[in-house]
Amino acid sequence: MVKHMRGTINKREILGTLVCASDEMSSLEDIFSTNQCPTAVFTSKGTDVTPNSDRGVCKIVKQHGVEGEMPMIGDKVCVHYTGKLLNGKTFDSSFDRKEPFVFNVGKGQVIKAWDIGICSMQKGEVCLLLCKPEYAYGSSGSPPKVPPNATLVFEIELLSFRGEELTEDGGIIRRIKVKGEGYNNPNEGATVNVHLKGWCGGRLFESRDITFVVGESEDEGVPLGVDRAMEKMQKGECCLLYLKPKYGYGKEGKTEYDIESNAELLYEVTLKDFEKAKESWEMDLKEKLERAVLVKQKGTQYFKAGRYNHAVIQYQRIVTWLEMECGAGKEQLQAIQALLLVAHLNLALCYLRLREYSQTVENCDKVMELDPENEKALYRRGEARLLRNEFSLALGDFRQVLQVNSFNRAARSQIVVCQRKIREHHERDKKIYANMFQRFAEHDAKVVKLKRKKEDSGLSDQNKGLKRPRLSQDCS
Amino acid sequence: MAQEQLSDVVQRCQAIKDEIFSPEDYDLFLNAGRTCIEQGDSAQVLSILVDEKNKNVVRCMGWNLLGPLVQILLKKEDRNLPHCHAILSYLLEVCNPKELLVGLLEQVEDADSGSIAETLTLLLKPLQTVLLRLGMKKPSSLGMALSTLLSQVARLPVPISKEQEEDDVFGLCRCCTALLEFVKPFVEEIKEIIKDNNRISKDNELRVELLKFCMKSLSEPLLEVQLKDPDTFEKSPLRGFATEILIILSNIGESLPDLLSRNILKKREVPGFLEEEVRYPKESLACMSHLLFVDHITMDIFPAVLSPVFVLQCNMEYIELLLSRTEESHRQKGLELYEKSLIRVEDNSLLVDLLELKTFFSVPQNVVKVMTLCPDQNLRTKGLKVFQLSIDKFNTEAKYKFFRGMLKTSHHAGVEGYIIKNIKNQIEFSLKPGNGNEWFLGKHLLPLLQLVLCLPQGPETDLLQNLDRIMESLNLLRYMLIRDKEWENETGIWTELYKIEDNYLKPLRTGLNMSKAHYEAELKSTKENRSSKDSKAPDYTVSVGNEKLPNMTPEMQIQVLQSALFTFDLIESVLARIEEIIEAKDRPS
Repeated sequence: MVKHMRGTINKREILGTLVCASDEMSSLEDIFSTNQCPTAVFTSKGTDVTPNSDRGVCKIVKQHGVEGEMPMIGDKVCVHYTGKLLNGKTFDSSFDRKEPFVFNVGKGQVIKAWDIGICSMQKGEVCLLLCKPEYAYGSSGSPPKVPPNATLVFEIELLSFRGEELTEDGGIIRRIKVKGEGYNNPNEGATVNVHLKGWCGGRLFESRDITFVVGESEDEGVPLGVDRAMEKMQKGECCLLYLKPKYGYGKEGKTEYDIESNAELLYEVTLKDFEKAKESWEMDLKEKLERAVLVKQKGTQYFKAGRYNHAVIQYQRIVTWLEMECGAGKEQLQAIQALLLVAHLNLALCYLRLREYSQTVENCDKVMELDPENEKALYRRGEARLLRNEFSLALGDFRQVLQVNSFNRAARSQIVVCQRKIREHHERDKKIYANMFQRFAEHDAKVVKLKRKKEDSGLSDQNKGLKRPRLSQDCS
Repeated sequence: MAQEQLSDVVQRCQAIKDEIFSPEDYDLFLNAGRTCIEQGDSAQVLSILVDEKNKNVVRCMGWNLLGPLVQILLKKEDRNLPHCHAILSYLLEVCNPKELLVGLLEQVEDADSGSIAETLTLLLKPLQTVLLRLGMKKPSSLGMALSTLLSQVARLPVPISKEQEEDDVFGLCRCCTALLEFVKPFVEEIKEIIKDNNRISKDNELRVELLKFCMKSLSEPLLEVQLKDPDTFEKSPLRGFATEILIILSNIGESLPDLLSRNILKKREVPGFLEEEVRYPKESLACMSHLLFVDHITMDIFPAVLSPVFVLQCNMEYIELLLSRTEESHRQKGLELYEKSLIRVEDNSLLVDLLELKTFFSVPQNVVKVMTLCPDQNLRTKGLKVFQLSIDKFNTEAKYKFFRGMLKTSHHAGVEGYIIKNIKNQIEFSLKPGNGNEWFLGKHLLPLLQLVLCLPQGPETDLLQNLDRIMESLNLLRYMLIRDKEWENETGIWTELYKIEDNYLKPLRTGLNMSKAHYEAELKSTKENRSSKDSKAPDYTVSVGNEKLPNMTPEMQIQVLQSALFTFDLIESVLARIEEIIEAKDRPS
């Protein structure tokens, strides 16, 4: 197992390496200050690091790094560098920007010489790279800084590297062992054929070939994290996935594999082949409606099994397909709206279970755009708001539930809860802000009065009032 | 009179406890104050306001005078100016900053389009002072202020020529420069935080507001601005503004390369999570990319280690957006960005895999739309140039796949003709020694030729409509038959010939004969009609944009028919040449 590193940038460390390096013959300054042509120094001292051994990228190590710790393809690497032309002119340096440069290595984001050169470095290593134009900017150059057919010399320090985060929450980290082909990725609903190896705490617990549908990996007992990574993989890719419990077997664990609750997992996944599912724009409305019904059933099946994350994926597909459709004729429109309503309502419930309350509120709002008096949506939004400590908003929701259906006893008891919480909260606040409240209230009253006065007297017309849209809407 | 009223109301209010003034008091204060200022008694107003006894009253009500004050200041009547300025500075010092802010922004909002620049230049400094007084609470207020200011600036016409930018009649340049001055202290504050902690939270409110400001400035006004060449116009204020905006972005912890690649490297989003889209509108990023790669703005702080293909890939997202717009200025920017991104790439180097990316098909299709439908001749020409450039950058296999795709989807005879010409060039290149490849010779070429050598509707195809396509394909066929000798047959054309004869040449010959006969008959009848002077009105009229076009005279009709017949002759001559070559082959020699 390869450990991934989280490096911090330490200015002193960088300066330190530069100082000690200057004793040797191979610093960037030395290379350009001797009478010798810079390329000659690389010919005598450098090692060719190109896979084709064509001397297109030559490296001189100035300072060795940590043995055995080298970046893998796709890793987010963090470097400081200075780049010079053969005439000694600096064309670019991260030191001028006072911040290191960060990118995903080995994926064609940077010039070829860098992808090759940096993959050959160890953590903490400082090296010089001589890059022939074919491995840099070739005959076109990079206007305005790099002229055509320029050989470049870099001094690079590899500060740190770590796997690529595939999700915002950092719950899936990927490191690529073998790069896949092309730019095509499986999409939601694609059928993928993979080889899986799973480890837990260093113990291999599964190794198998399996075919599954992206978004429905649960059916084959494949964890959510592997499923979610598919969209980022290419055919032929072999990668390691570090999964947080949420994306592995979660709280429940998996007795079959002897995996305990809240265990972190490591997977090695090889994507052998895949077949894409139709994209939304490739389907006509009829097909979308037919599929949406099936997808809804699938979602419900996951929900009943307590697989809320998987259920969300399915319901979300319905929204993606139908959100922008308006249908031809009343009947189709009704069908679309009915499906969207159920999808949002169920999403709201899933998110409630997943404790993602703002998502719950958002989905309830969507339901109420379609059906302003939807009892369930009102109730779920109330629940979410109560859990977010927005007591009076929650109170409003539950009261509205009662207006729609006065027999809803659950809402009645929630109202009591809300009122109690509001009282408690109020008492607490009162103590804290004892006299501040009063002052604010007075000030508010004054402004309101003034505003009313202004409008009445006709000194300002209506749209010049003091009220302004909220900022977030204002700037968007 | 008004003066007495003012001192009366102020005096009465002095006595009111806890500053709970009645609406009537506010009214009286405002009306009396306004009248005094308008009548030129600002000196007296000033003396009442600065009276220490009145401080509380002024603190609560003073901001109401901003309106009349600003009006006078904008009129610039010398006599009152110093007093009015003094009143303004005094109010800025004593009144509640929140109320001042609202009052000042109201003045900005009320400015009509003719006085926006004046109002902004006058009020930016006071606004800044007030915001700085707000302390910790300022981010949301700053956001509100910037949003109001930018909406007003967006109403100003954008200068087009260098002279217009220098004259700056409507004041856009002045406003932009003033805005930079305005945000400076807030940017400095963020820089301090970064300096002290080595980082800043993405959610720091002040940072977010400045980010929104930069993003909004990029979409409006900068997206509309066509920057001039720095060699001819060194001190362009708008270039300065663009530069500063990008520098601010990088100063507040937004890395420009990360912004560039944001759309293709973004992580899986939580569904329904829209905040990101709001923070980083694609349109603004497209403008940023254009500034970087076309105008070379802030290139000195942009890393020079990114691969040209990666840059192209990132920019494709923006090019697609810009080209899909209807505004010609946006399309122009799209073409420029496409051109500059392509120039960085080596010829024949783009791999076929890239065509898996949606943008690599949609962008050329958008370019075709510009080439064929755009009313501006310059853009059409530029479109064609960039289209050819994009073909040149693909490697052989990618060119092949691209041609196939374009032939299947373009539905435009001119574009198809152009693609066929490119196919001919590729075959010509491949037939040269050492250039052989499997795509434009042999087995892969034949399916491509099938797409070229066909008539969409058989013999009934409209030959005039499809002229470009037919001529190019006949030229290609003739070229191949002459260049590639039967005994060499490197292209494979000779083995396929019998099929081409049946599927293309014969139907074309039939269509040609039919069309010629038809047009000859038409010509004859038109001539007869003319000689019999039977000038009866035609059965239909043609109108363009509600304007009826004049009917064609018989002379014009004859001209049109004759030119059609010439065209058929042209097609026939090439066709005959091809038939000749084929015949020569069949003849045992």
